[in-house]
Amino acid sequence: MELEKEKEKILREIKEAKNLKELEESFKEVQNKIKTFTQKLKKISLPQRKKLGKEINELKEKLEKEYLVKKEILKEKERKKEEFFDITIPPKKIEIGSLHPITLVKNKVEEVFQSLGFEIVLGPEIEDEWHNFDALNIPSDHPARDILSLGKTFYLENKKLMRTQTSSVQIRYMEKHNPPLKIVVPGKVFRKDAIDATHEIEFWQTEGLMVDKGISVANFKEIMEEFLRKFFEKEMKIRLRPSYFPFTEPSFEVDISCVICGGSGCQTCKNTGWIEAGGAGMVHPQVFRNCKIDPKEWQGFAFGMGLTRLAMLKYKIPDIRYFNSGDLRFLKQF
Amino acid sequence: MNFSYNLLKSFFKKSFPKPKELAEILTMKAFECEEPQKVEGDFLLNIDVLPNRPDCYSHFGMAKEISAIIRKKAKLAKWKLKEEKKAKVEDFIKIKPQNVDSSICKRYCARVIFDVKVQESPKWLKDYLTVCGFLPINNVVDITNFVMVLLGQPLHAFDFEKIEGEEIKVRWAKKGEKILTLDEEVFELDEKVGVIADKEKPIAIAGIKGGKDSGISEKTEIVVIESANFEKSAILSAKRKLDLITEASKRFEHGVSLSLTPFALDFAAFLIQKFAKGKIAKGKIDVLFEKEKKRVIKFDPQKICEILGVKISENQQLEILKSLGFKKLKDNFLEIPEFRGDVVEIEDLAEEVGRIYGYERIKGSSPKTTLTFPENDIQILWEREIKDIFKSMGFTEVINYSFLPEKAISAFGIPFEKINKIKNPASFEFEFLRPTLLYRILENVKKNLPFYSEIKIFEIGNVFFKENGKVVERNTLSGAILGDKFFELKGYLDTLLSKLGILDFWFDFYQPKFDILNLKVWNKIKSSEIKIGQERVGVLGEVSKEILEHFKIQVPVFAFEINLEKLMKIMEKEQEFQPYSFYPAILRDISIICPQKTLVDEIMQILENCGGENLVDVDLIDIYDIDDERKSLTFRLSFQHKERAIEPKEVDELMEKIFKEIEKNPYFEIRK
Repeated sequence: MELEKEKEKILREIKEAKNLKELEESFKEVQNKIKTFTQKLKKISLPQRKKLGKEINELKEKLEKEYLVKKEILKEKERKKEEFFDITIPPKKIEIGSLHPITLVKNKVEEVFQSLGFEIVLGPEIEDEWHNFDALNIPSDHPARDILSLGKTFYLENKKLMRTQTSSVQIRYMEKHNPPLKIVVPGKVFRKDAIDATHEIEFWQTEGLMVDKGISVANFKEIMEEFLRKFFEKEMKIRLRPSYFPFTEPSFEVDISCVICGGSGCQTCKNTGWIEAGGAGMVHPQVFRNCKIDPKEWQGFAFGMGLTRLAMLKYKIPDIRYFNSGDLRFLKQF
Repeated sequence: MNFSYNLLKSFFKKSFPKPKELAEILTMKAFECEEPQKVEGDFLLNIDVLPNRPDCYSHFGMAKEISAIIRKKAKLAKWKLKEEKKAKVEDFIKIKPQNVDSSICKRYCARVIFDVKVQESPKWLKDYLTVCGFLPINNVVDITNFVMVLLGQPLHAFDFEKIEGEEIKVRWAKKGEKILTLDEEVFELDEKVGVIADKEKPIAIAGIKGGKDSGISEKTEIVVIESANFEKSAILSAKRKLDLITEASKRFEHGVSLSLTPFALDFAAFLIQKFAKGKIAKGKIDVLFEKEKKRVIKFDPQKICEILGVKISENQQLEILKSLGFKKLKDNFLEIPEFRGDVVEIEDLAEEVGRIYGYERIKGSSPKTTLTFPENDIQILWEREIKDIFKSMGFTEVINYSFLPEKAISAFGIPFEKINKIKNPASFEFEFLRPTLLYRILENVKKNLPFYSEIKIFEIGNVFFKENGKVVERNTLSGAILGDKFFELKGYLDTLLSKLGILDFWFDFYQPKFDILNLKVWNKIKSSEIKIGQERVGVLGEVSKEILEHFKIQVPVFAFEINLEKLMKIMEKEQEFQPYSFYPAILRDISIICPQKTLVDEIMQILENCGGENLVDVDLIDIYDIDDERKSLTFRLSFQHKERAIEPKEVDELMEKIFKEIEKNPYFEIRK
């Protein structure tokens, strides 16, 4: 008989369902089939109809029972499956891009100085001798000029050169603006050198300048400490050591407590607990005069810091050559 | 510079800091000093004397500096010179003032010592010199070197018998003259080099190095000791010509005090007499052109406090300055010590007071400044914006060298007259300033190929070229992606420009003639110009086979370069909010069969024109080739009304209009 044959098949389908979804689908299908059988009943004679109707109802009940039993079994199975979940499988790789560590450090430096009320200023990478040397009180017969200009400066035609420091932008800015001034100048600088783990021919600096009435060494210390605290996000000690730059007087080297060992002494700080962070000083009166600013009326400090160096310290990058390498294995880490 | 701890200590009578302590004191108050190194009964101190302090290029000078810091007197031991009565210096040698060129030499002193016994130096002398980095030679030469490290005055000893004509001149060399120096090197001289000469020929390069022929040998019996003060400019000029730096030239280049000239000479003569058994001829030659003037400076303790930002009493300041050799005069003027040529202005005094007082004692304090309103360079803002957009699109930022090798310029076919050459490059790798960022970008791609199957990189930086003879520096944005992905790259740039708020940008066909550098970079077919209005701001496209071959890259690469300066001018415009409809949209797809060479843009134009303002979006969702002649394009059109829900009937009408318009073209066919 037709129904008998179907019955076997239908029951098998329900029994063999592998998961809840399959079970639901089969059950739906089964119900549809039963519906068609029921519809067929109208066409046959009454006694037969009675008999068949009874069989169909029995089948229906049986099916529903089977369905519910199977459903419980499958639910239990899935519950068991849910109890085990391997979270150690490696994550799906989500690709987002990355910014160069110099950009990250530059952004941070800019943000901190902006929060201290400094303006961010840019200047050209190709410079003339006036802005790179003379105006910075490094005249052509100065021993420092020789070291910088002959030894370390890349020259183009017509005495144009690649700036050796961002300080040239100080001059450009002071020539055009009257004090009070508060600027920082991030940018690339160029020095002729043999490239090795600590020397590059092209690296990044930031320059700072603050000119107002009565600006002092004590003010510089305060601003510097505040900057370092915000940049490294911890208390930083600084110390000033006497130094010499033609464009500042007094001049100093700025040392910061070693970011690696915190001052107890390590390889990075050569066991001194201090590392050099940059040079600074009070703007030399001659530099003011070169920019037509009266040194009797205005005082100010200027500083220069290596952004590349800050990046090396912040991310513990051991070799300066990584920065210009274009190596994605390096760059994608940031 | 190397210093002997023992020799420094010898100037002080009583207690003196231990080597390590001394190094620390010097580092904090004067000059950076490395950790002392132990050397046979002594310590070597490597002190980085600052270039404005040539007075400390000697042990005595350094001792005086230490004396100011530790507040203890530094003194040279007593000594006395004994001259012979009968023999006079003039009996041996003549140096006429008119034979000393004052543009080379400011002061020339000499003594003659006879009956000298040239031999090995005593051990103490050899030890000091070894610590200071000098090779002991013989007692006479060693004494001249010793006096230099002790007092800072370079000296030179000649063998009298080798000086022809018993006459010494100081003059500029003549072109063609040569000299064989003590270390057996031959130098060709010219008018830029000052020399010491006898009647015939140069016997020394003035202030730099002595000649071999007139040098001291074991046979020497009569010694002429020269103590002179040479002009900085003459030393610099010779140094540039000969590329020669010596211990003597370093000192002259930075300036040596004029009063040292005769003093150091006498002291050297005294030592030679004592340790080489010589007899000193009576008198000394002293040609002096101009005496050093006494220099004074106004002492303004108030200003010094203002510069340092700390209160230091007038007395305390004065005490510090006195210990450094300053003398108080009337009316608050100070006499500057002769050896402190670096002190000129009040700021210089502030430095002296500040460092000896101790920078560590100056506490930080907030500046009292005027309220200002910083206005950042607009470039900073936009660069950040652009970098962030690229990062969010999965690009990695690179920073490359601004310099390129010649092979890069040739490979790109850039005319050399349009770019800038570095006169003194670091190496041939870095000879030219880059006129494009693309060369290094492609180099980056090549470098990363072995490690990555997907590469998306960008750079923002300056490119350099010449325009009408002028050097131009221009901020530029460039990048590349790996694979045959024109439309993907076009998509990135579309997103970038849209996010930057630029409304009227579009992609035009590439026309090489407008590329000022005439780059061979692009595959002209698969490249496009990025335009804003009618202005061309950049190019994107496939990198040509030729260039890929140059880099040995075997995969297609798509790249772009955009003139950021032009772009930023346009970006300065404000971005405005665009109102959008709150009502549901109705989507309809339309497939059109058209000839292979039909531009998608042509059909989009028809769609947009017919759709009117209610057609809010057109997307190309499928494109496939039917045969060699024809292709099928499927668009998804999105209809929406601003103020109400759009009726299906309205959309049907618009679609009908579109069908009619498309079918006007006999080559187009609508697939239904």
